[in-house]
Amino acid sequence: MPEQYPNGTVRALLPTDQVTEATRKALTERLEKAPPKPVFFSETEFDLLKAICSRLIPQDDNQPPIDIAGGIDERLAQNKSDGWRYDTMPADGEAYKIGLAGVDETASLLFESPFQSLSEEQQDKVLQQIQQGDAPGETWKKLPANRFFEELLAEATTNYYSHPLAQEAIGYVGMADVPGWQRIGLNQLEDREPRVVKSVE
Amino acid sequence: MPYSTSETVDAVVIGTGAGGAPLLARLAAAGLKVVALEAGKHWNPATDFATDEKAQEKLFWTDERLSAGADPIPFGSNNSGIGVGGSTLHYTAYTPRAQPDDLRIRTDFGVGEDWPIPFDQIEPYYDEVEQFLGVSGPSPYPWGPNRKGRYALGPLPINGAGQLMQRGCEQLGIKTSPAANAALSADYYQQGVGHRKACTNRGFCQAGCSTGAKASMDVTYIPLALHHGAEIRPESFVTQLITDESGKIREVVYMRNGQEERQRCRFVFLCAGTVETARLLLMNNLANSSGQVGRNVMAHTALQIWGEFDEDIRPYKGIPGALISEDTHRPARANFAGGYLLQSIGVMPVTYLSQMARARGLWGQDLKRAALAYNHVAGINILGDCLPDAGNYLELADEKDSRQMPKPRVYFSNGENEKRMTAHADKIMRDIWSAAGAKNVWAFPRNAHIIGTCRMGKNADTAVVNADGQSFDIPNLYISDNSTFPSALSVNPALTIMALALRTADRFLEQRK
Repeated sequence: MPEQYPNGTVRALLPTDQVTEATRKALTERLEKAPPKPVFFSETEFDLLKAICSRLIPQDDNQPPIDIAGGIDERLAQNKSDGWRYDTMPADGEAYKIGLAGVDETASLLFESPFQSLSEEQQDKVLQQIQQGDAPGETWKKLPANRFFEELLAEATTNYYSHPLAQEAIGYVGMADVPGWQRIGLNQLEDREPRVVKSVE
Repeated sequence: MPYSTSETVDAVVIGTGAGGAPLLARLAAAGLKVVALEAGKHWNPATDFATDEKAQEKLFWTDERLSAGADPIPFGSNNSGIGVGGSTLHYTAYTPRAQPDDLRIRTDFGVGEDWPIPFDQIEPYYDEVEQFLGVSGPSPYPWGPNRKGRYALGPLPINGAGQLMQRGCEQLGIKTSPAANAALSADYYQQGVGHRKACTNRGFCQAGCSTGAKASMDVTYIPLALHHGAEIRPESFVTQLITDESGKIREVVYMRNGQEERQRCRFVFLCAGTVETARLLLMNNLANSSGQVGRNVMAHTALQIWGEFDEDIRPYKGIPGALISEDTHRPARANFAGGYLLQSIGVMPVTYLSQMARARGLWGQDLKRAALAYNHVAGINILGDCLPDAGNYLELADEKDSRQMPKPRVYFSNGENEKRMTAHADKIMRDIWSAAGAKNVWAFPRNAHIIGTCRMGKNADTAVVNADGQSFDIPNLYISDNSTFPSALSVNPALTIMALALRTADRFLEQRK
């Protein structure tokens, strides 16, 4: 049942009194934030991370694209954790640095070129093998490839879908909750909840 | 009326969550001089809490924990909380009672551990806590022993996920009911707390309630404790418990604003939760003559089954756990000990999509297509018992955190019993979703609520605290949180933690008379 929701819904709700001040502040800051320069990663690592993120979550529909990699860099620069890590993994920052080098290593072993020089199809092949834990490369002997991929994918997904524009695209307006929700049963919608514009197949 | 650190207060309570807050209020009401030390901030939910998952990550305990074993436990959003109110700041407020047979799993099945407390000593505290919090639920309640009274309020309205689970269960002959939730279905007044407004169906319980309708500790037992003269000292991270030559704790050392402070006291109530309570005792090498501190880690079986439906659901609306069934509490012909409950679940978008990416491994256009179905998804969740196992424990790692304290490493692997229970539940939940008309059904394997590490029991050789929560080794140390549970129970732990906290406080006060 893939669907398409109208553009502009969250942006139209944000300035209204249907959104609390704290909510408006958090979402507006995210919406207006300029793409950051890397602090934790080198420029080279950061470009590679961005290239990987754009395969994990393609953004043909967003111009300019929603920043995913910048949020990862910012977290690592601040040495913040999400509260846990797999015991088989090194510390988050180290895991990212090793893993990024591993992506290029696998790309070179499979296609004799660094990741960013590959076609989209080849890039996806590299990422698939890493996800499945059967990618070639010395890197993956010290870093579990599948766990690296899982952590990266989860963080990229979190960053992307925290963005108001990504939330608009999936028809989410839960942030407009000041009036509360009275119509909460099946097929019951409030006026401010967007209807599907068309089905995309 | 803050107490000074140079005076000796009657009690220091470490942690202000479900284990600490009720006890704090009780001790203060009895006229004791009590100070609560809380690692996190004291928020004002109305102005500080955004309806935004990322902004609300501030409610999660994010000091890094190392997750080991075959089924590593995710912490952070899924577990401990920080701030005045502890993890109740982000609990779903699902408050079923344990049933009497939950407390005697060893007697009934020959595995696990019995509780050293009979059900009838916990039951009156369930009554009291439910009335005080304003729990909304069905009366009569369809499972377990007859209740003496009614829930404080009638049940909250059922959202889309709940209606779908109702529909599926009806076809399979599984009985369902609106669940008991510690969120207000109508305005509520309590002496010492004041007025709280009815729930507006924000559906954001797991990222903080901004209206005060959800009974987190910061809007219930904490105001009551303050009303009775307790002091709350936020942003105070406890590092040491100092004992005197008699072996009693005389001083609690903590960091506040980057400075070390000390509070002299007669009694200590450690209520920091399964991981931090055990970590603090292990770091200080205290209360562990049994060798049991850190052992017996348990985590509820908590498999989720998600499906997509033709109906518009908008899963961000309404109390997330609207519906319950306890027909699986002790399933007939089961090949495992204990049982579980079934719960319908709504979900916030970032939580749903990030766990879907993890579990299904979807990315690229597949992920974006699946995300577009968010408004049409609904879930069912189990919450089931977990047996203690020698291989599941907490230890101090060599790796240090930013405070130069050792990080906790937690080993967890599901045993045969948990695997069988999960397989049983997987089938039932898929059947329910199939009967309700779900498509693209997928499973999110997980365990929830870390429990154990400071087991209560009758014997000082095999338990850390007695049935009153008092340390066998250190007579002026009590523990009140989920670390003391001898068995995991087949229900969410918060209500039982609060009930036990009041019982511990009352037993303590009786002994001092």
